Amino acid sequence: MNLTDLETDALNELFNIGLHRAAASLSELTGKRVEVDLPRLWVCSIDELKDRLAEVISGDLATVHQFFGGPVAGDAVLLLEYDKAVRLADALTGGEVALGGRLDQSAREVLAEIGNVVLSSCLAAFGNVLHVAVSFAVPRIHVESLDGMLRSVVIDREQGIPYALVAATRFGMTELEISGYMIVVIGVRSLERVSEALAAKVR
Amino acid sequence: MPLADLPLLEPGASADVLLQAGDFLGAGVLTVGTALEVSGWNRWLEAATGWTAAEVVGRPLLDVFPGLGGSRGETAFRRALAGETVVMSHRFHEFLLPMPSDPAFPGFERMQQSARIAPLLSAGRTAGAVALIQDVTERVAREAELRAALERAEIASQAKSDFMAAMSHELRTPLGAIIGYSDLLETEVVGPLSEVQKQHMRRVKSGAWHLLGIIEEILTFSRVDAGREPVYPEPVDAGAVAADAVALVDPQARQKGLALRVILGEAPVALVTDPGKLRQILVNLLGNAVKFTHAGGVELRIWAEPERVCFRVTDTGPGIPPEHMERIFEPFTQVDSAHTRVQGGTGLGLPVSRRLARLLGGDLEVASTLGEGSRFTATIPLVPPAAPEPAAAERAP
Repeated sequence: MNLTDLETDALNELFNIGLHRAAASLSELTGKRVEVDLPRLWVCSIDELKDRLAEVISGDLATVHQFFGGPVAGDAVLLLEYDKAVRLADALTGGEVALGGRLDQSAREVLAEIGNVVLSSCLAAFGNVLHVAVSFAVPRIHVESLDGMLRSVVIDREQGIPYALVAATRFGMTELEISGYMIVVIGVRSLERVSEALAAKVR
Repeated sequence: MPLADLPLLEPGASADVLLQAGDFLGAGVLTVGTALEVSGWNRWLEAATGWTAAEVVGRPLLDVFPGLGGSRGETAFRRALAGETVVMSHRFHEFLLPMPSDPAFPGFERMQQSARIAPLLSAGRTAGAVALIQDVTERVAREAELRAALERAEIASQAKSDFMAAMSHELRTPLGAIIGYSDLLETEVVGPLSEVQKQHMRRVKSGAWHLLGIIEEILTFSRVDAGREPVYPEPVDAGAVAADAVALVDPQARQKGLALRVILGEAPVALVTDPGKLRQILVNLLGNAVKFTHAGGVELRIWAEPERVCFRVTDTGPGIPPEHMERIFEPFTQVDSAHTRVQGGTGLGLPVSRRLARLLGGDLEVASTLGEGSRFTATIPLVPPAAPEPAAAERAP
């Protein structure tokens, strides 16, 4: 599936707004500066996504998935390497929940809440810009390998379409030495609807 | 998309099911309408608050819980009415709904709660919100206990390492005096010694040197374990380091009538590493091999691979049972504790060697066949990995 230049520009802008809002929420929660790279956008298969992510991230991951539904459906993921997730939970709780380098139940819940706030603000931006109602599921936190994480990404599975639009950005909190990724994956079917909504907006 | 993941809950009959499900799961279920009026209140909530559904349903949520007004709890309900799903951990909120304190957990003034709040949909429109509230007081208390226990264990472990380091140091100082004055006496500068006295002097010295070796081993182990062992890399000829190590072990091998062979390619094998640590690894491996081998021989083979140099020590000793293969790298372990008395030693040689090899960016592996012998292979990178120190330093308190 190919996107026109105009569509690509518009999508870039859309994700830029969404992911920046997510970063702003993260900054508000942590009280720390959050730097965000420009989101990168590509249409690819889940296997390609794995290859691309494997270049920049490794080991066990702590991920918060927030599935969303409605006219545009997909999966938003906050992705952190395990030790960074521990550090983030630590930073937010004054070392109270994640002591000992592990994520216990309380630390996981704290991360789920962080993921919820961050990803919701991104998805809400989507809804606002596109004027479509996006409904969110309860976020889920997983500790898994990259393989496991990609298996649990939900995109148009019932339609058996293994391709997706992926928008990913790296964020960093220098003070806490934490960096991670925010990824939004939407199925091709949803992508068509996003294109339509964007076209309507451009007109 | 799994249906259960989406907030497709219909109010009315299905909301009643939700209330019951909450009771079944041991969780509070509270539903509100679009004006934030309480529309459902399950038995769990009745038990937790002491208020019946009849007293609460129909009243504004903020009237029932005035403490919620302006809080993130209220915001969460409003976000749910706007279509979002909200997670609230106990950490940021401590309690979503003010509830009477639980005498079972005197440390907490209120019940510790975590909650999930989701929109209730009717024909595609938001018709209210549902909150699922869990009592996590016990879990939080248990986690706090675990953390305290972990902290105590870490402090105890640190204290043990510090004690070991301090004791080893304290023991080394008087040993210096014992060895030094034995040397002096042996030279007969302060007076002649009889043959018997000389023999006794040699035994004192040999015992003192042995003890010094053990103390050095413990010191190295505690330093490496605490991440305080510095690495001083420099260009090194593997063959020269190996020759040094072999020279130190050779007398013991001769004494036992064992052949000690070094197999090295013709071209010199050069690498950049800490020669002292590499020598210590090789001395440990060769010393162990000689110690545990009673007949046959010990061989050290050295070869270079594209990114690393391998040092393999093969012996014809008793071998290591498979179930003990990893345990031998644990500190204070000798495969057969009866060996400890026969063979002596701290049981720290292999753990120290593996830790040193890893400190140098490599590793130490073992392969063994019971009754035939063992094969230890240390792999050391040609160049040390970039700055391993900061991470180790960070771990130290």
